[in-house]
This record gives sequence, structure tokens and C-alpha cells, in this order.
Amino acid sequence: MKKFTAILLTGIMLTAVAAGCSSKDNGENTGGSDSDKPTIGVAIYKFDDTFMTGVRNAITDAASGKANVDIVDSQNSQPTQNDKVDLFINKKVNALAINAVDRTAAGVIIDKAKAADIPVVFLNREPLADDMNKWDKVYYVGAKAEESGTISGQLLVDHWNANKAMDKNGDGILQYVMLKGEPGHQDAELRTKFSIKAIEDAGIKVEKLAEDTAMWDRVKGQEKMAAFLASNGDKIEAVLANNDDMALGAVEALKSAGYFKDNKFMPVVGVDATAPALQALEEGTLLGTVLNDAKNQGKATLELANVLAKGETPTKDNTGYDIVDGKYVWIQYKKITKDNMSEAK
Amino acid sequence: MNAMNTSSIKNFFTQNAIYVVLVVLIIGIAVSDPSFLAVTTLRDILLQSSTRAIIALGAAFILITGGVDLSAGRVVGLTAVISASMLQLSEYPQRFFPNLPELPLIVPIALAILAGLIVGLINGVIVAKLSVPPFIATLGTMVIVYGVNSIYFDTEPNQSQPIGGLRKDFTELGSGYFGLDGKYSIPYIVVIAIAVAGLVWVIFNKTQLGKNMYAIGGNIQAAKVSGIRVGRNLIYIYSIAGALYGLAGVLEAARTGGATNNYGNMYELDAIAACVVGGVSTAGGIGTVPGVMAGVMIFGVINYGLTYIGVNPYWQLIIKGLIIVAAVAFDIRKYLAKK
Repeated sequence: MKKFTAILLTGIMLTAVAAGCSSKDNGENTGGSDSDKPTIGVAIYKFDDTFMTGVRNAITDAASGKANVDIVDSQNSQPTQNDKVDLFINKKVNALAINAVDRTAAGVIIDKAKAADIPVVFLNREPLADDMNKWDKVYYVGAKAEESGTISGQLLVDHWNANKAMDKNGDGILQYVMLKGEPGHQDAELRTKFSIKAIEDAGIKVEKLAEDTAMWDRVKGQEKMAAFLASNGDKIEAVLANNDDMALGAVEALKSAGYFKDNKFMPVVGVDATAPALQALEEGTLLGTVLNDAKNQGKATLELANVLAKGETPTKDNTGYDIVDGKYVWIQYKKITKDNMSEAK
Repeated sequence: MNAMNTSSIKNFFTQNAIYVVLVVLIIGIAVSDPSFLAVTTLRDILLQSSTRAIIALGAAFILITGGVDLSAGRVVGLTAVISASMLQLSEYPQRFFPNLPELPLIVPIALAILAGLIVGLINGVIVAKLSVPPFIATLGTMVIVYGVNSIYFDTEPNQSQPIGGLRKDFTELGSGYFGLDGKYSIPYIVVIAIAVAGLVWVIFNKTQLGKNMYAIGGNIQAAKVSGIRVGRNLIYIYSIAGALYGLAGVLEAARTGGATNNYGNMYELDAIAACVVGGVSTAGGIGTVPGVMAGVMIFGVINYGLTYIGVNPYWQLIIKGLIIVAAVAFDIRKYLAKK
């Protein structure tokens, strides 16, 4: 009995000590260690999101030598995130960087920050315009969803202009098929619309042979593409997919139909720059994809928050990024092809 | 003499295990960062523990009867969405009910709490009248409530968009406080939690329902034999618990100024953990209001304190798990020693 009690107590003490030590060992949570540098409280919507992990790492990298960043996990729960914001305010951080769980909840966070006079940079999930206008020390760093569509269209424009053979039937019109994501999903609708708009804006006439949803899914992408090939055969001159998984499904269907060997090629474009997509770029089966630039989203967030933490107003000179309408920084999506694929790794 | 001293020290630790854990935690955190010891820290921890305390008190009712309620978190989500959907600013562009007039604050809140109570009532009926084990009954309602909430949340014109633009008088309930300035003040939400704790204490200790609850959890057969109407009492108890989750959901929406169907996800596990760490027996029949509140506070200190000193969030999970196991292992000694 006595031994048991001793073991348990020791265990708890050790845990407490471990807690204390790990706070010092942990490189990304260096709050309070360097008092001359500003401290920035960063709340990410959830830690196990692949894209946001990239942004998180970029924030940590950009902060080294400049600011202390204290990064916390909101566990995909808005109430938890609000708790973390209260904590940052109590700790008197110099600036906040918030990746909101629910974009509509930004209003309450802005109220809290304003009351404590701590500037806020929102990232990746854009608060409503009304909330953004509540206070002049509120900024937003993110990407415009429609741009991912525009760039996937431009990939085909580049290919069209460089390879006259792409116009198989020589009619000067680009015959394409479209694999859409989930119907009604904002990204699916915007990517579909703006990819075609980009091609038309480049002065190329287009003709839609087929369009169907493959629900972001690789297997469904393959099935739909097989069906498109069965009904349209060699008339198809390009394949657009709202994401890489569907594009890779289409590539598989094209392979079974004899493409990608004996000089038989089909330009396929996706969005996301996933690892399997980069592999396909390397093999030459995928023409191109579009990267949501985590590195610059993280870096811009940190630069803005750092400038605000020092009590200055962010400008192009002190952050390195264009500030639009006094509070927005738009990070461009990146065109990724075989030539520059190292940028996406 | 010496032997008696060690025995009384040992006794002190086993009797007050959870408070020892709490003190050790606070000392550990304060040593790591002395600025942790501040009035504002205490205020923040109380604020963050408030809704969790209300849910844990609801869960305690069920645990003391020898049951378990897995539907708590999803009920929180349901009532957060119901209250938020009816409390949007009239000029907000994306209203859930575009033509809803401005209702008195109490109406949507009462409706949301009623919805929680109805889910609790259904749980109670399934357990008491259909004799389905509570774990299974509430597992079923947990999934059903999430489904119902998601359908409601997905209706035109909202279509699964987060509900925002909540009325000032409603968000004030979640973020307002009594007192002059931010530091020496008591948030409304803390006062509500304390009032609920007082009410639950009265039910536990001063009412026939409370006595019946302990009797049912202690020995259901004996309770039946001694003339307690077990089924009816269980239905009352599950309904009260449901209403408490309902209140907590309303407060979560008020506190964050928004709601989605994902609110409250997994809160039931936090509530059960807080209860058992606070000395509520999962076998039933044992549990007190101060114990539950201490359990909630331990998790409040862990969540807040470990983040405060910058412990990696994954480490926080490991520490939380260890404390659940250690605290209960300690607590069990108390009863083993008695036997």
C-alpha cells in the first residue's frame, strides 16, 4: 500500500517535471524565453491538417531570430480556440495570429483582441468583411480560391501555345472534359468556372465534351474518365480535374486506353500538388498541378504579426508583401510543372 | 508513534488524492512560469471550466445511477445550433431564418434547453422502459442527435454554413461580467455555473430524487425492493441531465458568437473524465458536487496551465491520460481501504 502510494506520487511528480522540461526543449514554443523579442500567439484550427502543418512550420522558420512564437492547437473546436485566445491575452502576447475554426466566430475574437489592444492577423480562413472592418489592427493573410482554377487553366494555355499538336483535329478549338469535385462545394465550383475562364481569356475557344463529378475521389475519377473516353474517344484534347486525386484517376484510365506510350499524350491538370501528383509529374503523365503556397502564407503571417507586435503599421517595405485595401495580403497559388516541382516538395 | 505518523500521512494522501494532484500541478506550472499565478489566470480558468462544469454535473447524475451518457456532447452541439439559429442580428446577410422577428432572448434559450431535455427524456425512456443498457442507448441517441442536428444545420438557406452574426444581448451572456474592469470581475457564465452547481447540490442532498438516485446506483435491486419507482426516477434524472447539456450548448454558442453542428464533439468524454477524477464511481452510487467541481478544475488547470507554459499539445494529451488513470487509481484506494 505504502509502496503503491509512493510509486503513484513519484509518477505524478515526474509528469509535472516532464511538463516543465518539455516546455524548454520544445523549439516551437519559446514563449517568454527572450524578453527583448516580441511574442506572437498563434492558434491553428487543428494540428493534424497537412496544409496547416506546412503553414505552421513556415511560421516557426520565419520567426527564428525575430520573434517568439507560441503555437497552440485549437483541436478543430471554436470554443477551444476562444479559450486559447483568452490565454494569450492573459499572457500579454504582443500580437495574435489566428487560423479560425469557424470563420463567423472571428467577430468575438476581434472584440477580445480590441479590448486588450492586441493586433490580430487571421490566416487561411477569411473572416466576414463586417468583422474585418471592426478594428484597424485586424489583417488577413490567405489565398483566393478562384485563383487555383485560373492557374490550372493557364497550365493548359501554356501547353496549347507551345504545342500546336495539342489541337488534334486542327479546328482551333480546345475540346476538354472536366472532372468536378463535390457539387456545391465552393472550391469545386470556383475551380471549374475560373479554369475555363482563364483559357477563354487567353483567346482560346473551348468546347466542353463532358463534365461530371468524381467527388474529389481517385477511383471515381478513373471511372468517369473511362466513360468519357468510351463516348468521346480521340476527340478529347485536354482533361481538367478539380483536384490531383481525380486527375490521377483520369491518368490511370488514360493509361489503360493506351495513352502515355508510343507518343500518345493527353494533357491532364489537377490542383493541390500532392506527393503522388508530383510523382506523376516526374513520370510525365500529369502535365501540371497548382500549389497552395503554405510557405508564403506562414511567412507573411509572421512578418505581419511581427511588425504589428512592434506597434508599427505593416507596409510592403517592412513585410515584403503587398497590403491590399489596408488589411489583406493575398498569397498567390503556384503553377507546378515538371520543371519547377522542387518548389512543391 | 513513528508508524502512526506515516500511516496518517498516507491516509491524508489517499483521502485527498485529487487535491494533491491539483496542488502539485499548480506548483509545477508556477515554477516553470511564475507569471501563471495571477488573478486573470484564475478568472480565465473559471471561465473556461464553466460550461464543462455544467456538462460534468449532468454526466454525474447518470454516472451515480450506475449509467453513462454518451449523448452529452452532441446535445451540446444541437442546442448551440438551435439557439444560435434563432438569435442572429436582423441585418446579418446570411440568416438561418431570413424573416424571423427579433425574439425575446429567453425564448430561443428556453427552446434549446427544452430540446436538450427531450433528448434526455428519450434516453431515460429507452433505458428505463426498453431496458437497453445506458451505454448502448446513449450511443444510439448520440448518433441520432448528430444526424438530426446536421439535417437542421443543412436546411435552406443555411446549407451547413457556420451560424454567425449573433445578437449582442446573446453574446453578452457569454462574454459579459459583473464588476468594474476585466481583472476583478466575475463573468456571467461563471455565476451561472455556480448557480447550477448549487441547484444540483440541493437535488443530490436535499431531495427525494437525490436519495433515490444514490439508492439506484448503489443497488438497483434493493432500491426496487424498498419501493423506489426506479423507471420513473431514471427518466427524471436523464431529463435533468439533458437540460443541463442543453444549457451548456447555449452558453457555448453565446461564448464563441457562433455555432456549427460539430460543437460539443467528444465533450462527453471530458465530462466523464472530470467526474471520475473527481471521485464519482463509474459503478454507481458514489459522487459529490464538490468532487465533480474539483475534477473539472483539474482539467481546467491542465488545459490552461500546460498551454500557458508552452507544453507541446501532444504531450498534453499524454499527461491528461496519465492523470485520469493515476487519480482514479488513488481514489479507488480510499474505498479498498474501507473494505
